[in-house]
Amino acid sequence: MIEYFKPWLLFWLAAIVAHGYMDYSFYRKWQGWAQGIRQPFPHKGKQRRIVKIWLAEVLLQRQLFGLSLFRWLVHLLIFWGFAGLALLSLTTFFLRPLDFLGIGWAHYFFSGKGYLFTKVWGDSFGLALLLGLVLAGIRRFILKPAQQGNKQMDIYLVAFLFWLTLSGFFLEGLRLSLSPGGMDSYSFIGRLFMPAGIFTVEQLKFMLVATWSIHAFSALALLVYLPHSKMMHSILAPVVIALNASEESEREDLYWPDIGKYKAKKSRET
Amino acid sequence: MARHRKIQGEEIARNLNRRQLIELEACARCGECTNWCPVYAQDKRECISARGKLAMLRSMLDGSLTAEERTEFLQGLYQCSACGQCHIVCPVRINTPELWEQARYALVSAGIPQPEGQVKQLTTIKGFNNSYGKPQEERGLWAKNAWDAGFLKSLVPLWSERPSSVLYFAGCTASFDPAMQFVAVQTARLLQEAGVEFSILGSDEPCCIGKLRRMGDPAFTEEAQNRARQFDNSGVRTIIVSCAGCYKGLHSDYHSLWPGAQKVLHVTQLYEQLLHDGLLRVQQEVPLVVTYHDPCHLGRHNRIYDPPRNVLQAVPALKLVEMARHRAFSACCGMGGGLKAANPELQHKVSASRIREAEATGAQAVVTPCQTCYLGLLHGVEETSSSLKVYHLNEMLIRSVCPEVSREAIDAAFSGDQVKLK
Ligand code: HEM
Ligand code: SF4
Ligand code: SF4
Repeated sequence: MIEYFKPWLLFWLAAIVAHGYMDYSFYRKWQGWAQGIRQPFPHKGKQRRIVKIWLAEVLLQRQLFGLSLFRWLVHLLIFWGFAGLALLSLTTFFLRPLDFLGIGWAHYFFSGKGYLFTKVWGDSFGLALLLGLVLAGIRRFILKPAQQGNKQMDIYLVAFLFWLTLSGFFLEGLRLSLSPGGMDSYSFIGRLFMPAGIFTVEQLKFMLVATWSIHAFSALALLVYLPHSKMMHSILAPVVIALNASEESEREDLYWPDIGKYKAKKSRET
Repeated sequence: MARHRKIQGEEIARNLNRRQLIELEACARCGECTNWCPVYAQDKRECISARGKLAMLRSMLDGSLTAEERTEFLQGLYQCSACGQCHIVCPVRINTPELWEQARYALVSAGIPQPEGQVKQLTTIKGFNNSYGKPQEERGLWAKNAWDAGFLKSLVPLWSERPSSVLYFAGCTASFDPAMQFVAVQTARLLQEAGVEFSILGSDEPCCIGKLRRMGDPAFTEEAQNRARQFDNSGVRTIIVSCAGCYKGLHSDYHSLWPGAQKVLHVTQLYEQLLHDGLLRVQQEVPLVVTYHDPCHLGRHNRIYDPPRNVLQAVPALKLVEMARHRAFSACCGMGGGLKAANPELQHKVSASRIREAEATGAQAVVTPCQTCYLGLLHGVEETSSSLKVYHLNEMLIRSVCPEVSREAIDAAFSGDQVKLK
């Protein structure tokens, strides 16, 4: 664990602005949706089935699995990778202040033994996300299936997430290069991003601050971009799946197709 | 101008369901819908796909759709058979057919009319109470003519004279289209063979007005309530329909308005039961290899996949083979959702593609239990100059139960004409 300068004040100011903007955008969206006609949510007696559908379709993405194994793998990696990292960031966000206040168990995650767990967690989910994005890139730019949308928003999101993940790993590599021994075995991916030994400590420190800033401010930029991006699907798809399952939970042709009975030869493998 | 567009967008949003407004933004843009849409297969513009329509409608609501995009969007919205294929394959489970119909309604309510061809058809339905623009007095004539020609065991009673436990609702196509009246005659005869007591409404039979809902006509709700009241006042309990469109209308569209909608059955459901109970007896062999075309309104929209197949399989010597796309993935014939009224040539191409698929099975004929699909598939046969035969499911049963009531015999007796496309 090393200490280095982070432009916290600027970061927090920017975070408040970015978050505020995102919240306001969601509020406006909410207002827009609220204009619509109210609809019942007929869930009585079907709760178990709705929950089962939701778990299968959102957390395991069974429907993508049914369409293409490759696409399922790509998206599962992106989804879980992002979710894992988002959880880590969120935990850090809430535990940091506790750590400052000297509360012991919060300290455990940042400086104590728990830090290693944090590292393994971060690297594992980061690896999943990076791998998913690389595969998505291969699909998007090399395999180019006809069904793929090619509007700006389709490309920006993958590129943005890739940038964010990559800068995160570079940051990790730089941090390791300045850490006094032993920690890197837990950052089993981060250490692959350690810069070659041609830089001085001063140079490395400067690069570290710069990379931290790039990574941190990019993450804030994602918050600003989110309401306008196709990332909206990651919030709204789970909502739609839950809402529509209330009406269609009995549709075995939709949710649990008997493959022999319903499979048709059309879907492309990529 | 931009402000005007925004106000119109808000007006449209107020007539969509909240869930639908959320669905517009939930699309993951995966394009799976483009793989399956029968119309997109013929016209690869983004506005035709579900993905494109969702994005464009969203822009329309916030006022950012350009005039050019708006024209495209309207084409996409109305050149869609609301077949529901995109719903089945969408990984986000966006209920697209409901959305398209509600969007049409919302647009019309905001002063943006349907395409000319659809407006014309809707005006006819509302003016004449049938989609053929013919006098209602002619509606029940098929029954009288069939009795006179000796196709029926007894004259089918009019409800007003002798109500019974079952109402056979023949629908506009089988009542008015001379080339399709055989469906009504054969249904009546098969019900008689099985000893089912039923009556018809004759000239009192209204149009189911499912088409009003398909094309977003705001008069739908009130008109449907009027019809529900008519059925209730006449003491109707069970309704049998022989058309998938009437089934979608009376069963699904009326569902939230009328408890009686639960008692609407498609004739294939009844045939299945009658065969099972031994009341309808298949005797003659029908040595044909056929493939079955699922009407969207029966299959995907109402999950009636098995009854028609079970009926066909009960016919001795008849062999059923499946197309590559069947059941939930059955490709639409292009007749639904007002597509035919909006763009007839496009419907022909969509149907031609389905006919090629049917041909690929090696079957001698394609069978469907809906008179609208039947007509739609015939357009495909004509377009492809195919030698494939198209049959209504009734014809397969009739050949086994009472072959003398064949389509050919009925056509000859009624008009002496061959089946002609309108
Ligand atoms: C952490 C949350 C999520 C993230 C970061 C995320 C990210 C992404 C990205 C980057 C793409 C584009 C891939 C490409 O263009 O090649 C994508 C596609 C997609 N997402 Fe998500 N997503 C999330 C959650 C969800 C959820 C919960 C669902 C719905 C169940 C979902 C459904 C889809 C679908 C169906 C596609 C298209 C995949 C394909 O075409 O193969 N996503 N997602
Ligand atoms: S409902 Fe059918 S025709 Fe319309 S967009 Fe969906 S798949 Fe295409
Ligand atoms: S299948 Fe569904 S999520 Fe995918 S592009 Fe079409 S509408 Fe959007």
